[in-house]
Parts: sequence; C-alpha cells; structure tokens
Amino acid sequence: MTILCVRFQLPPGYEAALPGLLGLLEDFTPVVEALPPDGALADLRGAERYFGRDAEELARLIRVRALALYGVDCVIGAGPGPLPARLALGAAAPGAPCVVPEDLVVDFLAELPVAALPGVGTATARTLCEYGLDTLGRVATAPLSTLQRLVGARAGRELHEQANGVDRGRVVPNAVARSLATEQPFPRDELNPDRHRRALLAGTEELGSRLRALEKVCRTLTLTVRYADLASSRTGPNGGTRISTTRTRTLKEPTAHSPALTSVAYAMYDALGLQRARVRAIALRAEGLAPADQASHQLAFDPVDEKLRRIEEVADRARAKFGPHAVTLGTLAA
Amino acid sequence: MSGFAHLHTASGFSLRYGASHPERLAERASERGMDALALTDRDTLAGSVRFAKACAKAGIRPLFGVELAVGDPTPSVRRTARRRAPVRGGAFIDESTPRVTFLAREGATGWAGLCGIVSAAHADRSGGEGRSAAPPLLPRPECAAEGLTVLLGPASDVGSALAAGRPDRAAKLLAPWREMYGDALRLEAVWHGREGTGPGSLRLAARTVGFAAEQRVRPVLSNAVRYADPGMGPVADVLDAARRLVPVDPRGELDSGEAWLKGADAMLAVAERIVEAAGYRRSAAYRLLEQTRATAAECLVDPEDDLGLGTVRFPEPHLVGAGRRTAQRALASRAAAGMLARGYDRGPKPHDYWERMHQELDVIAHHGFASYFLTVAQVVDDVREMGIRVAARGSGAGSLVNHLLGIAHADPVEHGLLMERFLSRRRVVLPDIDIDVESARRLEVYRAIIGRFGTERVATVAMPETYRVRHAVRDVGAALSMDPADIDRIAKSFPHIRARDARAALEELPELRRLAGEKEKYGRLWELVEALDALPRGVAMHPCGVLLSDASLLARTPVMPTSGEGFPMSQFDKDDVEDLGLLKLDVLGVRMQSAMAHAVAEVARATGERVDLDALDFERGDGDPATYRLIRSTETLGCFQIESPGQRDLVGRLQPATFHDLVVDISLFRPGPVAADMVRPFIAARHGRAPVRYPHEDLAEPLRETYGVVVFHEQIIDIVHTMTDCGRDEADRVRRGLSDPESQGRIRVWFAQHAAAKGYDAETIARTWEIVEAFGSYGFCKAHAVAFAVPTYQSAWLKAHHPAAFYAGLLTHDPGMYPKRLLLADARRRGVPILPLDVNRSAVAHRIELVSESGKSGGWGLRLALSDVHGISEAEAARIADGQPYASLLDFWERARPSRPLAQRLAQVGALDSFGANRRDLQLHLAELHRGSRGVGGGQLPLSGGRRTASAGLPDLSSAERLSAELGVLSMDVSRNLMDDHREFLNELGVVSARRLREARHGETVLVAGAKAATQTPPIRSGKRVIFTTLDDGTGLVDLAFFDDSHDACAHTVFHSWLLLVRGVVQRRGPRSLSVVGAAVWNLAELVELRREGGLDAVAPRLAEPVAEPVDTGGAPGGGRGGTGRRIRMPTGYEMHPWADLRPAGEEASQGPSQMRKLWHQSPGSAG
Repeated sequence: MTILCVRFQLPPGYEAALPGLLGLLEDFTPVVEALPPDGALADLRGAERYFGRDAEELARLIRVRALALYGVDCVIGAGPGPLPARLALGAAAPGAPCVVPEDLVVDFLAELPVAALPGVGTATARTLCEYGLDTLGRVATAPLSTLQRLVGARAGRELHEQANGVDRGRVVPNAVARSLATEQPFPRDELNPDRHRRALLAGTEELGSRLRALEKVCRTLTLTVRYADLASSRTGPNGGTRISTTRTRTLKEPTAHSPALTSVAYAMYDALGLQRARVRAIALRAEGLAPADQASHQLAFDPVDEKLRRIEEVADRARAKFGPHAVTLGTLAA
Repeated sequence: MSGFAHLHTASGFSLRYGASHPERLAERASERGMDALALTDRDTLAGSVRFAKACAKAGIRPLFGVELAVGDPTPSVRRTARRRAPVRGGAFIDESTPRVTFLAREGATGWAGLCGIVSAAHADRSGGEGRSAAPPLLPRPECAAEGLTVLLGPASDVGSALAAGRPDRAAKLLAPWREMYGDALRLEAVWHGREGTGPGSLRLAARTVGFAAEQRVRPVLSNAVRYADPGMGPVADVLDAARRLVPVDPRGELDSGEAWLKGADAMLAVAERIVEAAGYRRSAAYRLLEQTRATAAECLVDPEDDLGLGTVRFPEPHLVGAGRRTAQRALASRAAAGMLARGYDRGPKPHDYWERMHQELDVIAHHGFASYFLTVAQVVDDVREMGIRVAARGSGAGSLVNHLLGIAHADPVEHGLLMERFLSRRRVVLPDIDIDVESARRLEVYRAIIGRFGTERVATVAMPETYRVRHAVRDVGAALSMDPADIDRIAKSFPHIRARDARAALEELPELRRLAGEKEKYGRLWELVEALDALPRGVAMHPCGVLLSDASLLARTPVMPTSGEGFPMSQFDKDDVEDLGLLKLDVLGVRMQSAMAHAVAEVARATGERVDLDALDFERGDGDPATYRLIRSTETLGCFQIESPGQRDLVGRLQPATFHDLVVDISLFRPGPVAADMVRPFIAARHGRAPVRYPHEDLAEPLRETYGVVVFHEQIIDIVHTMTDCGRDEADRVRRGLSDPESQGRIRVWFAQHAAAKGYDAETIARTWEIVEAFGSYGFCKAHAVAFAVPTYQSAWLKAHHPAAFYAGLLTHDPGMYPKRLLLADARRRGVPILPLDVNRSAVAHRIELVSESGKSGGWGLRLALSDVHGISEAEAARIADGQPYASLLDFWERARPSRPLAQRLAQVGALDSFGANRRDLQLHLAELHRGSRGVGGGQLPLSGGRRTASAGLPDLSSAERLSAELGVLSMDVSRNLMDDHREFLNELGVVSARRLREARHGETVLVAGAKAATQTPPIRSGKRVIFTTLDDGTGLVDLAFFDDSHDACAHTVFHSWLLLVRGVVQRRGPRSLSVVGAAVWNLAELVELRREGGLDAVAPRLAEPVAEPVDTGGAPGGGRGGTGRRIRMPTGYEMHPWADLRPAGEEASQGPSQMRKLWHQSPGSAG
C-alpha cells in the first residue's frame, strides 16, 4: 500500500482551483482525500500495478499533468501510510518527490521535529520542546506515562504511537469541496468599518452564488480577519506571520441564500468591535456543505424574504448567461 | 497695511500635532512681514523660551499662550455610548473634548495664570500607579485665571454647537465663558477651505462672525497654524496618524494644507471671504482684522521682565539653615567651621587657606549666591544622612568653600584647582555644582529634596524626546500602511542618526547599501521621515536636573507630574531653565557609586570588616601599590572611567603610579585632547623619550606637573595670567573666548600686547600663543578630572582588594559599558569562583560567599543573584529570598509562589538542582504543580523519599542547552565561556586566542574570534570613521579597529553579527598596548553552522567568497560612496567624519540568544 500526499502550490486566493486538481488525482485512483486548502491524500492501491509504474514515477506523472492542465506546480511525498506520506511531503521539493519505504519509516521519523506531526500544533510542540523532546526519535524513547503527563492521556498515547511509526490512519474519500472560501484583500491598512462591511458583503455574495451554482447549502460560516501586525515572536529578517482573528458561527438552517449569509457575517464582524485594528484582508469560508435538495427551509409569512429569494434566482440566471458580474448589488457596484 | 498677527499657532512642541519648530515659525513670521506672533501649543508651554529667544532674533514680538482641553461647566457624568471592547487593535483615541486657546495678556500675572492653568490641566489626570494617565484636561472651575484672553475657536464647545447649526445652544454655552472672562473673551474664526459646516469650513467661520456680532463678543481671525510653510499638509497627516495611532487614509479627511503661517495679504483675502459669507460688506474684513490686531496688542508679556529671563531665585535662607541670619553670614561661619574641622588652620600653610576662603566668600557675596551654596550643602548633608554615597563633580570641585561645606571631596588647594574656573566676579552665568549619588537610590534623594523644600519650590526638569531616524521611520511607515516587517527591518538597519540625515546616510554609509538599493520602493517615506526631524514626540523626566527656587516657582514654570513616580516636573528642559534663571542642581545617579556601596555592604555582611572608601588616603603620596599594579596591568574592566578599550590602551601606555597620574589620564582621554594629539608628546615626555620643554621658565611652574604639555583648563588660565598679569578671573574669560574663531583673533592681539608689555620677547610670545591657541579650547577642567579620579581609584582599590565583592557590586548595578557576561568572564579570569544560581543560597542581589580559605580571591566566591533571572519581579525575588531555605521542590513551590515561567527558568539554569532529578524532570513537576494549583487534574506528586524529586525519564539538558539557557535566562554564560564550545573549530582555523595574542609581533597577520562585547564609532582626529570593536574569547579581550577602507566589506557584518571571526594585522604601540586592525570579517555563528553541517569543505567556499559585497547601485561616479571625503568641521576646528560619533545599528544579533537583552555594548562614542 502506497499513499501519496500532494500539495499544490496554488497562488493565494486560488483555492477555488482545488476541486479540479482533485479530479486530476481521481484519474489515478478513486481513493482521494482532500486536505483543504491546497492538499490531498491519494491511496495508490491498484494504481501502481495498473499503470505499471511505481509511486515515484506516478508522482512525476501527476506533477507534469498538473502543470500541463492547470499551470500549477506541486510537491509530493509518498509513504506506506498517510502519516509517513504527509511527513515525506516536508522533505520533498517540486520535481523531487520524497518516497519513504516501509522499512525505513522509523528511522525517517526519528530525525523529524515534533512539530512536523499533523495534530501537533504550536502549543504541543512548544511543550514537548521545552522538555527536550524536540525530535520524534526522542519522543519515541520517552516513557509513555511521561508523555501522557505532558500532553494528556489520549494525545500522549497517539503521539507515542505515531512517533514509533504506528499509523492507524486511512485515506477516506471525502466530498471534493467540503468548503468554499473567498478572501477580500485591502490595498492598505483599512480601518473603515464601511469598507469592511462592503468586503463582507462581496464575500457572502460570492459564496452564495458559488454555492447555488454547485447546488449546495452550507451549515457554518467562518470569518477570518487578517491584520497588518505581525506576531511579535516571529518578526525578523524573514518577516513573520500576520496576526488574524477567526470566528465561526453555525447558521440557523443550512442555506445558500446570500442575505442570510450576510447577516451572519455582519453579526460576527460586529462582535469583534474593531476600532483601530489595521485590517489587511477579510476572508469568509462556507463550511459543512451539503446538497441543496436535502436542506430544509423554514417558510415565513414575511413576503420580503420570498421576494429576495426570487430576485436572487433571477440574478443567478442572468449571471449564468452573461457572466458573474452581470448583476451585482448596488452597494458593491459603486 | 501692516502685518497680521497669528493668535493661534502650534509648534512642534504640541506633541504629534505641530510640524514646525518655534524657531522656524518666528523666522517665517518675520519674513512675511508680521510684527507679532503667538505660540499656543497644545497642553504645554515647553516651547515658550525657545520661541521667545527666536522672536528676539527675528525681531518680532512674542505672545504666549496655550491650547487646552477644557471640561464641562457642570461636571456631570458624560454620556458616552459604551462600545464593545475591540478584540484587536485597541479603541480609537478620543479627541472630542473641546479645546480652547488661552493667551497671556497682563504681563507677569498673565504668565503666572498660564503656568497655573497648564499645571492644573496636568494635575487632574489622576492616572495613579499602573493606569495610563488620562490626557490633560482643564476642569472648568480652574479656567478662571487672571490676566488671560480666551479664544473660543471651532474646536471649543461653542464652536461645535455652531457647527451643528445650534446658535441657541451656542449662546447657552457662551454664557459661562462670558461670566468668567467678560471683555477678555474672543470668538475665533478659521477658514481652511473645507466643505460642509465643520471646523475649517467657510460656513462655520461665517456663522462664528455672525454669532459674535449677535452676542456682542469680539471676533478674531486666526489660521489655527500648525506648520510654517505651505505644502506641509502630508507631514501634518503623518503626525495626526501617529497621534491617533491609525494609518493615513487617503480617501478620508486629510489635512487641508492651509494651516500654514499665511501672510497679511492672504489673511485679508480669507477675512473678506468670511465676512462676505456672513452677509457683511467686504470692508468689514478690515474690522475683523483690526479686532485681531487689537487683541494681539493687548497681550503684553515681556520675556525679560515677566517670564523672568535673566533673574535668579534661590530658596529662602531660613530653609537652608541660616536661621535669622543672612545667608552670607551663615555661609561664612559654616566655612570657617569646616576649616577648623578639617584641620587646615593647623596644617602647613594655614594662611593660604584662610586667604583663599575669604576671597571666595567675597566673590560669592558679590553675586549674592550664598543661599545657593547653602542649598547645595543642605542637600548633600541630607543625602549623607540617609547613608547614600555622594560626591561632587564639575567645576564646583575647584572651590574651597564647597570643600569646606562638605560638598566636594578633594582639597582644591592641594590639587591646584582654581575657584576662577568655577565662579568669578567676571562670570555672570549661574555657577553649577553637580552631585553624584548612588543611582539605585537617586529617586530617594529626589524625594528627600522635595520633602525638605516642598513641592512649591522643587521640580524636576523635562527632557523632550525628539524624532530621530528610527522612530521617524516607524511612525511614518505605520502612517503609510507599510508592512510592519519592512518597517522593522528598515528602522533597525539605521544607526542612531538624525532623521534629516536619512537620505544622506543611505547614500554614504556602506552598511546601508542594500537598503539604498530598494530606496525607491518606499516612495514618500524618506521625505516625510526627514520632515519629522527633531520634532518632540514625547517628554520624559531629565535624569538628573532638579529645580530649586523660592516659593514663586509655580508662577514661573508650568508643572506636570512625571508618569512613573509622580514627581512634579517643569515642562521646560535644561537649557530653558537656565535661560529662565531657575536654579538647577544636577543630581546624577552614578551606577558605580551604587556598585561600590553594594560591594562595601557585602564585605561588611560577609566578613564584618568595615571598609570606608572615603577614608582611603590616596590623594597625597604613593597610595596603595597593589591598586596601581592592577591599573598598570590594564585589567581595569569595571573600574570607573578607565575600562573602555581606548582607556585601557592609554593606561597601558601611561602607566599611572600616583593619584595625579590618574587625574592626567582621565583628562587626556577626552575627544579634545585626543583630537589635538596631546597624548603622544605627553607619553614621550613622561617616559623620558623626549625632553620636557617650556616656552619660558616663568611657565615651568604651571606646566611642570604635566611635562610641559597643556592638559588642564587651569593651566591655560595660569599661563595667560602669568604672561599678561590680567588676573585669573579675566584669564578664564579669555580661555572661554578661545573656542570662538572670531574672538580668537582679538584675543591674540590683546595677548601679544600685554605679554610684550610685561617684557617677554616676541619669540616666547609666539610660542606660548601657539600652545594657548592649539590646546586652549580642548583641555579638560582639572576639577572635573580630580572629581572623576576619586571613584576611579576607589573602584580600582576594591577590585584589587575585594574582587568578589567588587564583581557582586558591578553585576548588581551594572555600571559599565560592557555586558554583564564580560564582567563574569573577567571575574573568572581573575580567579573569583562563580557560584551558580541556587534558590537556597542566592539572594536578590549578587553576594559573596566563602568558598575556601585559600585562593587568589581570598577564598571568596561570587554567588549569582535572583534579580538577574529574566522576567523576575522584585516581589518574587524578595519572596524567594525571604523563604530560604527550602526543603523540597514542593516546599519551594508553595512558599515562594513563583510564577510558572519563572520557576521553569530557574529550573533551566539549575537553581533548583538541589531538589534532585534532572532539570527537565523538574520542569515537568513544576508544570504539574502549576496545573494542580489551578485545580485542574492534580493529584499526587511523584516524590521519592519526601525530599528528592523522582525522575520522569526525560532527557537532561545537554551542555550546549545549558549554556543557551544561561544566556537566555541570565544573559550570562555562567558555567563556562560560550566560546569554549567553538574552541575545536577555532583551533582548526588557527585562530589566535586573546592570551596568545599578547606575544604576537607588530605587523603580524592573525585570525581572531570572539563574542562581540562593544562597538563604537567615536570621533577621531583624522576625521575618518573608525569602527572599534571589542571581542571576548574567554581568555581575554581583543580590541579591533576597522578603518574606512575595510568598511565596505566589514561594516554590515560587524554591526549585525554577534560572534565574529576577523582577519587583521597586529598593531603595537607599547608594552601593554595592542590592537588588531581588521581587514576581513565573517559571522562566526554562520561558519560554525556550516562546519557542523558540511564539515570544513562547506566552510571553505564561504571563506573563499569575495569579502567585498558587490556594489549594485548603478555606480556613483567619482569614488562613489563610503569615503566620500565629506567632513563636518567642528566649531573647535577639527574635522569629523559625518557619521562618526553616533550609535551604530544592529540591536538585534542575527545569531545568538540576544533577542531580549543586551549582550554587548554600543555607545555614542565620546567618553565622559
């Protein structure tokens, strides 16, 4: 069993290209798991025999196709399970896939920093490093009980297993697009709440129409506000990570109706109470997508709601015919 | 028509509001034909003195005023819509409080009124400890000061009611103002060409004029000026952004660009538009201007008479122990008492002493300064009584009366110090006596002074912090929405230079070349950065000045509380208070005094031996041989004044053997003498390599002590006096005139005439004049040098006799120019055992501990202090020290209650090692104790045997990790020198250690390496920029110099790396004087990394790379950059490299654990 872990080098804001790229992987194997925003796991089971090529050759093939079809480069790691594959990805470069053979997994792991493990976030990694457990090799030799004292019972056990090369993960095919995202950047530090709300409105409009085009509804909406400020610990000659705030809300009912999304987005934004924050971008993500025909909708006596939905339907048709910018809200057109 | 008078003008002293300096405003006003100009800064009068002086120069009449935020007439809880607290970025700065302009009208009363309301506005901001102070706000009842004229402009409550279209409400708001000020009330109309009805709009201006007519209040026209010249709107935008802490929004409301100092014609046009819009005939504009002029004419405050420029006030005599006698009588009797107490009346030359004392008392009586001397004596007595070390410095040490009163330590007669250098009948400036106290207890001294004289007589002095290049880059970058990472990088790559030099520095400094390449990318940044140059951006308490006055102080200076301690602080800076005739006493906190006090206290605590440093008899005779042996060995790290690389070099060449040699040594190491090359002839004469020559045998007497070389001011005075018979007081005046090229010519003629009249031949006169001219303005005041040399000797004595206590004092109070880790390395080299941090033994401060009965240091070791742990609070340190001893980890955790990060750090550096288990295991236990104490989880502690902590099987810290923990937590490499880890690699490279370097030949090419301990670019005689660096490699120090020709290749690496590998040539100038001239430099940390990863083969290509960075700036023809040959000519005549004498860049080390605290020293260069 060989698993490939692919990361496409999407330019920022090109998340929407991921479904197509996943389709490309599905040409090789049906067992593909999307890792949004830009990655995927693919189980090559029969593919190696079917194509008569080994994992490394297939990886090169995938890269060439992605470049030819989408102009997108990718990095590929391969291993006997999802975990080694993901970790191998870190050691790979475009055009140089990294393949970890089954018998070398433990040795390969031993050299890696703990933070490389998926599921080990900055907090856990910091804890482990404080105690000198900075590589997976050291984690593997530490007593299980000590690990559990450090990071908790369950996480400790998982860590122990993973560090010892025991991989219980599988590639689970998932819906190609489990979420849709949109990001509105600002050309300078933006403090004006009107412009922020305008960005939110543009975002929800876009999400709504994309959802409706896919005939999906979403269950939750996530707002990410990115600021100009850098995390203080990370400033340095190479720059740093931008600080951001993330808020998630579950909708009253799953929907693709833009005004419904907008009101939730506004509510999340208002709750932040931003005043002097230097906002550089506002991103929205619709999550928990489900087919639209399975969604329920609470009818209301208010005719306005009904009218809005009708207008939206008409606008969608116009867009389908004349392009996405054929019909827009007056607020956004100015 | 005659000029227009601007009544509302903000200068740069309005923090982050005004964009022009007061001098510039006065200049422009005069150029544009005005004859009066008001300065009404926001919340401050700090610019007044400079403004008054500038106006006098420009020939216009100054008006003084202030713009203040005022409270509601009926103090009620203001309804403010409570906004949600922002999750990020903070709330907007609220600037909605109405602001009103006050002008001083009636002379001294008006000025006192202004001072009063400014003090009142600042007094009310009861921020208290911890809370940030509220912006200054004048409560309405306090507004009723006498002698003021009030302008209600667009920003006032009346103005905003008018802007809102509510004349009815405006009338209601006007009533209390009218009641308070009656005829002195004016309504101020401003038109900045804005749209709408807001401030600066034509409609509001017209409404104001109409409303004024309706209410029968006189209107005036102003331009609410905030910059001198048109086109400075963008600068104002940046300042607004910096004040409001938001970026400039180009689509939002920007500055109108109209708020400049418009001339009379432009203001007439403005007046015409306003009156027309208000519905009057155009000629009414003249009435408006006439009202404005009349208002200006009423405001009569004379800078000399009313501000008190040029008069002096001392505390009342009864406060300084004069009782009912006059101050002069009290002073005379105290001086006589001092004479008897010190036994000078029974000494060898009693007559000299008495005569000198009476002469001095006469001079003091002549000026009426007796109270001043008594005041200083009182302060010194109080300080001494508190058990704080105190010493006088400055020319005041030359006065015998000061010595007799106990202010100055050294006997001026013995050392040949002259009173005339300090005070004489012909010197009209205020004398100044500086006193040094222990830095750690400086604030106590302040409190004692305030307690003695009362807050109505005492205030500290302000020190405006002005924009220099780094802050300017940060503020402008933030205003322009630049990427914070870029801002940070740009700001940090600049040395600490003036903002106006930003572009010139980019052109000329080799280490900025990379930045210069991307200069265009940042557009307006550079222009705006330069526009902010020297504008005040904040105000802090001056670290040493204290104002002492009689009870009228508060009527003459506005006072605000300092942010931390709440001391009263005058808004004027040290130059201003001198001009205002306020008596300033400089109380300097000297860390070395604290360090010595600590060392003495430690010796007393640990051994019971009482050391009295002031009783050491060293001023006469040979002093202590061990001390001078130490000084001559140049291992003077940590000794006052003689520890810098240049001083160590000089001490090595001079080989001091007596106290007088120390005085000379300190005097020689000044920019002047170094620049005038007085050092070389002196050394040569001292060691008998050159004959001692005097221009005339009459001059042998003053010059003998320095082998015929002029070193001291006192010698110049004596020479002039001897040659011309003019009296020493006149000679001092002559000496002062020497630094001014213009008066120098006159003095020369005068000198030649008088000397010839005394019968000296022309050749002698010419030779003497040569000396006087060459060294006159450079020499050093001997009184200063003697005052400096006392702590120098005392610290060297401590280092020689009580080394462990000496280092304990140094490390506790950190007085020196070097990082602590270097002191530690020095201690290790001198055989003082370094005892690690231990919660059971370490105290808050560094201590000494008996290690063994024998050994170099007398068996005393140095125990590191808790206070050096990163992030420890005073309370935590005290709690840990109080709870000692601790039986177990649990015991420590429960009783000392350290915060978790602190406990972790203590574990990392081994302070908890006595509780068993390895350091990582201890950390785990601490984490669980922490969790348990929060009530989460918890449970039993795995302790074995109750006392010892059980192992958890975690890997212990490796030796490298321990070292890095020590550097990170203590900023010191405690267990061993950090260079030891690289020893093997350095041996591979053939690097010469500092110890072996002493045997190196002159001219030999060597490789040296080490951790950077100090960098300086001091002014140098040749006018070149030389980078001096000191490296520490564990075996000693290596002093390096990089000259102009190597800067292109080296400067960036030297400034921005911590561990350095240098190729250079050995320079020897004496048996103990040795330095290396650098030719190539590499970042050692990078090489070590390469060695570790790729072996020597990886290092080789890095070394093979051409050391010079490619010049990719398109080529500046004709020699290009770097040594462009531009030189700044100093007023004293010698040339200086434009970029010498400034603090170099490179706060962050690209390698090494120095992110948080300093590990090496950088100083602006010139010593003293």
